[in-house]
Amino acid sequence: MTTVQTTPQYDADIYTDAALREPYEHYRALRDLGPAVYLRAHDAWAVARYDDVKHVLATPEVFRSAEGIALNEPANAAILGCTLASDGERHAHLRRIVAHRLTPRALRPMRQVVTDAADALVADLVARGSFDAVGDLARALPLSIVPDFIGWPEEGREHLLRWAGANFDSFGPLNARAEAALPQCGEMAAYGAALVRDGNVLPGSLGASVLEARDRGEVTDEQCMMLMLDYLAPSLDTTISAVGSAIWLFGTHPEQWERLRAEPDLVANAVQEVVRLESPIRGFGRLAAEDTEIGGVAVPAGARVLVLYAAANRDERHFADPDTFDVARPDALEQLGFGFGEHGCAGQGLAKLEIQALLTALLRTVTRFELGEPERALNNLIRAFASVPVTVHTD
Amino acid sequence: MRIEADYDRCEGHGQCEERAPAIFELDDDGYLTHHYEGQDLPAELEGAGRGAVAVCPVAALRLAEGT
Repeated sequence: MTTVQTTPQYDADIYTDAALREPYEHYRALRDLGPAVYLRAHDAWAVARYDDVKHVLATPEVFRSAEGIALNEPANAAILGCTLASDGERHAHLRRIVAHRLTPRALRPMRQVVTDAADALVADLVARGSFDAVGDLARALPLSIVPDFIGWPEEGREHLLRWAGANFDSFGPLNARAEAALPQCGEMAAYGAALVRDGNVLPGSLGASVLEARDRGEVTDEQCMMLMLDYLAPSLDTTISAVGSAIWLFGTHPEQWERLRAEPDLVANAVQEVVRLESPIRGFGRLAAEDTEIGGVAVPAGARVLVLYAAANRDERHFADPDTFDVARPDALEQLGFGFGEHGCAGQGLAKLEIQALLTALLRTVTRFELGEPERALNNLIRAFASVPVTVHTD
Repeated sequence: MRIEADYDRCEGHGQCEERAPAIFELDDDGYLTHHYEGQDLPAELEGAGRGAVAVCPVAALRLAEGT
């Protein structure tokens, strides 16, 4: 054990509207205060530095996900048992049921489907000239791919975005946003339960393979319902956030779009850089299972730990000029926006495939993005725009 | 220095191959090949090897104890 230091504290509520709009100065203050900082407003220890975030994520036997993901008890109770909120063998078992369908090798047959859908969508929008990069571009691609892939029936799809957003809002502290979200999470869970009860999923889909695992006795009905929700809720808002941020970043940094046009092989790195700089998920919680320490700061058993990916990704202790958008950043791959370790984002292969396909399609014809006035969407967990009006130029 | 790969945990994200193509390769079916499985890395590949361990998104790679 290293020398235990006094616990640094931070008083501000980092979930107010203003803080969600401009979180980065709070994150800088938290990094500067220490490896773990007690948030009085949220009764949680924030971890904001890169090395310490990685340590927490790499030590799941101490920093547990069950009852730890959300910053409030009702949300933790509601998701208990889903893959995201389970640990150890149980987590590995649940993850195996579905993650094998999401690995890059399993997604190979999807590559052409996603590329064709992105090409058609972009051709249509470029022909229009002006559009909303969130509503018309960022939402359109995942909504045309993911529900079919997971196998949700047509009826009920109109609620997916609202439910997914509520799901993420519920993970924050129990503020007004989380309170408003919890009943909607209940609606989503009821819908998932009905799908499992009626077996109403598309044949050959990921959802169908979950039901088959249930029929083989590998998972219970309840786990089955959790697995359906596990992979639907996180697969929309996250990707939508990254695409909206990408267009905004390229609109505000035209030289980076020029660079990518000159070197389209950088597109995969550019996607990592977008996720680093504007991490779609601010962070998730963990629960300390025992008295421990984070970078020398004592953290007691039972403490709620808030692992801030978005702060780690701008840590000047790890990334040079962390606030600079650089599509050729040599260590962009080290970003933690997809998490890390055994709970590392299972859908990142699909997310990267979608975002790369959209950028690649845009690179073919668009020379620059002229932005209108963007509007932020405020969510406890997701950093995103509600709209990014844009006019694309092809001269 | 030696790198151990956990093949059960590997999901084939391919970031190790991007960082250290001389050490790791995904085969045509997307499965991991570790060219230095059970062997010490040559000194000139140690930096790339550490980089590959750092960028595996699911922590399927680790430096072997005592190396």
